[in-house]
Amino acid sequence: MITTDVIIIGGGATGTGIARDLALRGIDHCLLEKKDFAAGATGACHGLLHSGGRYAVNDPEAAKECISENQILRKIGKKCVEFTEGLFVRLPGDRLQYRDNFLESCRKTGISTEIYSASKALELVPNLNQSLEEAVKVPDCSIDPFRLCMLNAESSEMRGGKILIHHKVIEIIKEKGICVGVRAEEQFSGEIKEIRGKLIVNASGAWGSQVAKMSGSDVPMTLSKGSLVIANHRMTNMVINRLRPSSNGDIIVPNETVSLAGTTSITVNDPDNLSISPEEISLISREASQMVPEFDSVRLIRSYTGVRPLLKNTSDSGDDRAISRGFKIIDHKNGMFSIMGGKLTTYRLMAEKMTDRIMEEFGINVPCTTAEKPLDGQDQLSGYPVSNRIEKLDDIICECELVRRSDVEKVIDKVGTKFIGDIQHRTRLGMGPCQGGFCTYRALGMMQEQGKVSDSESIRVLKEFLDRRYRGIRPVLWGDQMREEQLIEGIYLGILGLAEK
Amino acid sequence: MKYDVVIIGGGMAGLMSSIYMAEQGFKTAVVSKGDPVCSISTGCIDVAGDFTGIPENHPYGRAGEDKIRLSLDYFKKLMEKEGLPYIGEFLQNRFIYTSIASRRATSMVPLSMAEAHEAKKGSIHIISFKGMKDFFPGYFKGEENNQNISIFDAGSKTTIGIATSFDDLTFREKFFNWIGDQTIDADVIAVPAVLGTKNPQAIIDEIEKISGKKIFEIPTLPPSMPGLRLFRTLKRAASQRGVDLFWGNAISDYTEEKGQIQSLIIDQPGRPTIVESRSFILATGSFVSGGLFAEKTSVRETVFDLNVSIPEGEQRLNDSFFDPGHPLGRAGIAVDEKYKPVNSIMKNLFIGGSILENSQIMKYQCGHGMAIVTGLESAKSCEEYLK
Ligand SMILES: Cc1cc2nc3c(=O)[nH]c(=O)nc-3n(C[C@H](O)[C@H](O)[C@H](O)COP(=O)(O)OP(=O)(O)OC[C@H]3O[C@@H](n4cnc5c(N)ncnc54)[C@H](O)[C@@H]3O)c2cc1C
Ligand SMILES: Cc1cc2nc3c(=O)[nH]c(=O)nc-3n(C[C@H](O)[C@H](O)[C@H](O)COP(=O)(O)OP(=O)(O)OC[C@H]3O[C@@H](n4cnc5c(N)ncnc54)[C@H](O)[C@@H]3O)c2cc1C
Repeated sequence: MITTDVIIIGGGATGTGIARDLALRGIDHCLLEKKDFAAGATGACHGLLHSGGRYAVNDPEAAKECISENQILRKIGKKCVEFTEGLFVRLPGDRLQYRDNFLESCRKTGISTEIYSASKALELVPNLNQSLEEAVKVPDCSIDPFRLCMLNAESSEMRGGKILIHHKVIEIIKEKGICVGVRAEEQFSGEIKEIRGKLIVNASGAWGSQVAKMSGSDVPMTLSKGSLVIANHRMTNMVINRLRPSSNGDIIVPNETVSLAGTTSITVNDPDNLSISPEEISLISREASQMVPEFDSVRLIRSYTGVRPLLKNTSDSGDDRAISRGFKIIDHKNGMFSIMGGKLTTYRLMAEKMTDRIMEEFGINVPCTTAEKPLDGQDQLSGYPVSNRIEKLDDIICECELVRRSDVEKVIDKVGTKFIGDIQHRTRLGMGPCQGGFCTYRALGMMQEQGKVSDSESIRVLKEFLDRRYRGIRPVLWGDQMREEQLIEGIYLGILGLAEK
Repeated sequence: MKYDVVIIGGGMAGLMSSIYMAEQGFKTAVVSKGDPVCSISTGCIDVAGDFTGIPENHPYGRAGEDKIRLSLDYFKKLMEKEGLPYIGEFLQNRFIYTSIASRRATSMVPLSMAEAHEAKKGSIHIISFKGMKDFFPGYFKGEENNQNISIFDAGSKTTIGIATSFDDLTFREKFFNWIGDQTIDADVIAVPAVLGTKNPQAIIDEIEKISGKKIFEIPTLPPSMPGLRLFRTLKRAASQRGVDLFWGNAISDYTEEKGQIQSLIIDQPGRPTIVESRSFILATGSFVSGGLFAEKTSVRETVFDLNVSIPEGEQRLNDSFFDPGHPLGRAGIAVDEKYKPVNSIMKNLFIGGSILENSQIMKYQCGHGMAIVTGLESAKSCEEYLK
């Protein structure tokens, strides 16, 4: 049995952010995540560190939070935030009125802007729609959500925090109506562990109401699915937004060697059962190609989807404190809090407010320092640009993303993982055009060499990986990606004989 | 100069066609954009996972059992002659080991893999190479973890790099000395397929002599030496029989007159080459080689824009990665009994290989086998036409 002060459920940005904050304030804690870090909305998001521009017109409060957090994260997270800057492009037909509103709102909320003529914008980003009217530059950035969570977790672990990934909370233990702990199942072995604590924080995002239910509490929410596509190269060096009221498919974010475009917004019921329709893919491609015409014919290497939990506005659910319009902390009055909503961009602020509340509960007064101290563990990362990674080419294990054998060995050794995803998130192995088609075999082989998995386990892991990979690729299988897929099919089903009989 | 036949696509199907046609005395050429799938395959010839389960509308249905047998015999004799002998029979499964230590059925294998058929996983001694990128002996450890493994430092980590080292006699000596020092208790030795870029028989014989054990090669992930050996042997065989090879450039256009294709225009930097011929065999492969191209809702044939039949009203892809019978895998060119495309006016065009409709290579495990059979059969139809 593990005994601690605070139990955090969920290893997304919010959960790991809270772990770091608690660690910096010296509070003992244990975080449980059923999969890997960033397995929920955090890893399935657009990777945009908002400047706030997107929200300036409609939600100035959220915009203010964004720009302030944007500046903080650029400072404390240099190795997981790429300062790309962003352009809001105005295309023929987009209303001038909105543009004027936009500039005025940005000024009021403190978001710096610079207006570029069409020709200046095309100089910066040559493959923009040639007929654009003008563009406005804002300090949007690209952020790596996996690394962000990892670094937050690292800050916690360094100070004695317990971070248990692949541990699914299956029960909340209550005594006399008060939550006193949880039971969690280790996902590979099935072992059940009991963790006891004084407070529980439910930071499980779209799973929030499921988790709250375990304690007999209610978090009313609607789930909204958003899908994205990944194009096989970095099409622009800046984030591209459309200068009009926000709508489907109007953001393109460069992310290392690839580009992400999206998103959509569709109500769903089950966060574990998501599919992507061909219509969503066409919609995203169509909208993105209005800003960057090449998007229409670019090779898409994968699609993915994430779920935003939208809190139902209920005044009757007890003492919910609307700290800001973006997120909510709900005191279930039974030793458990739920923290929901917000954005990746504002995760640190959310964690700060949550931790303030915990400190209040414990009656301890230690101020938050997460905005000043850099994230720990960044010295181990190569940072930006990606070319920093090409020191030695002979030991490259993933040719698409230039991942070295030693990088992978380090992760296997440190995390002791049995999951390919863990290596992917930490090294970007398999995130490029072939989507792990070649390097997964190698990564698993290395896990076996280090004795982390047995050979039968590794075939299971390999199959799980291939299955997950295929689900992401299937919606975008045409053109060159279909060609690549037949090759991968030939390798795994043909050469390695993994086909079902 | 005008050819009797020009074959488009230098894969198993195209090369077999070209060898056959050249042997019949026809002036033959092969035009190929690049190296074929064969060069990255295991080098083993899959003929059929379960022959009785193959439907009538599969290209095998058209060929029939006798012709399949004849074609495979032709292939085997050819390989014998060319110094890369194969063993195995039609309708008999032979097992090889894969690089994830599973046993996989195929039909004909190069001699260097023959011993795999009988080998039991628990009694194999693996010899591998330090830091090798595409082979991991860990997969062979077994549940009891009792697998014997020896690692040789070849100074190179890639399949091609190590295989090239084995072509060098002093390197081989070093390796043989090292083998002599290993204690090998297991019944049989297995090694990733890197024993030279050519037929590895001499190396295998020597290792067997030194160790007193049988040995077999395990095909690796691409790049794969046994696949490359097979491809290079066939390419050389074609060339030695007088086939002209135009390699490395795609076809950009063609000319046609009264239902006869007259010439192909090969896209070459600077000056396009024009190749004239009396007949043509199209063997440009499936999606992976670019013979077919999947648009979002349709499929295109890339050289002549032939009509491609695709299953209608079904989703194109199955839900599971491991279910290899994708409807899209049935897409291809429909042909008549003479391997001529139906719905096409071209009288001197024949089709062979994985570009044929209903081939579903992965489902029926008929890759190279079907390419050999339809390559030879389409060539025979073409021969008839030319006579
Ligand atoms: C499509 C999309 C695009 C977005 N793009 C952006 C963007 O560009 N910029 C931005 O700032 N924001 C963006 N967002 C919002 C942002 O992703 C989320 O607000 C943020 O990631 C939420 O983080 P979280 O930690 O609260 O939730 P999550 O990341 O969902 O974390 C919850 C975690 O809890 C775990 N969990 C669930 N149940 C259990 C259990 N029983 N036991 C243990 N663990 C459990 C889950 O596995 C998951 O990892 C986007 C959201 C979506 C859906
Ligand atoms: C990764 C993988 C591994 C496999 N392993 C095995 C195996 O171990 N055993 C087995 O039996 N089967 C295997 N298969 C299946 C088998 O390789 C193929 O089905 C078979 O070899 C196809 O031969 P082909 O001649 O029809 O076409 P291909 O081998 O695809 O050859 C077509 C050729 O045409 C050329 N070409 C294409 N377009 C043009 C153009 N416009 N102009 C000029 N040239 C063009 C291409 O460059 C290529 O060289 C494997 C398949 C894959 C994908």
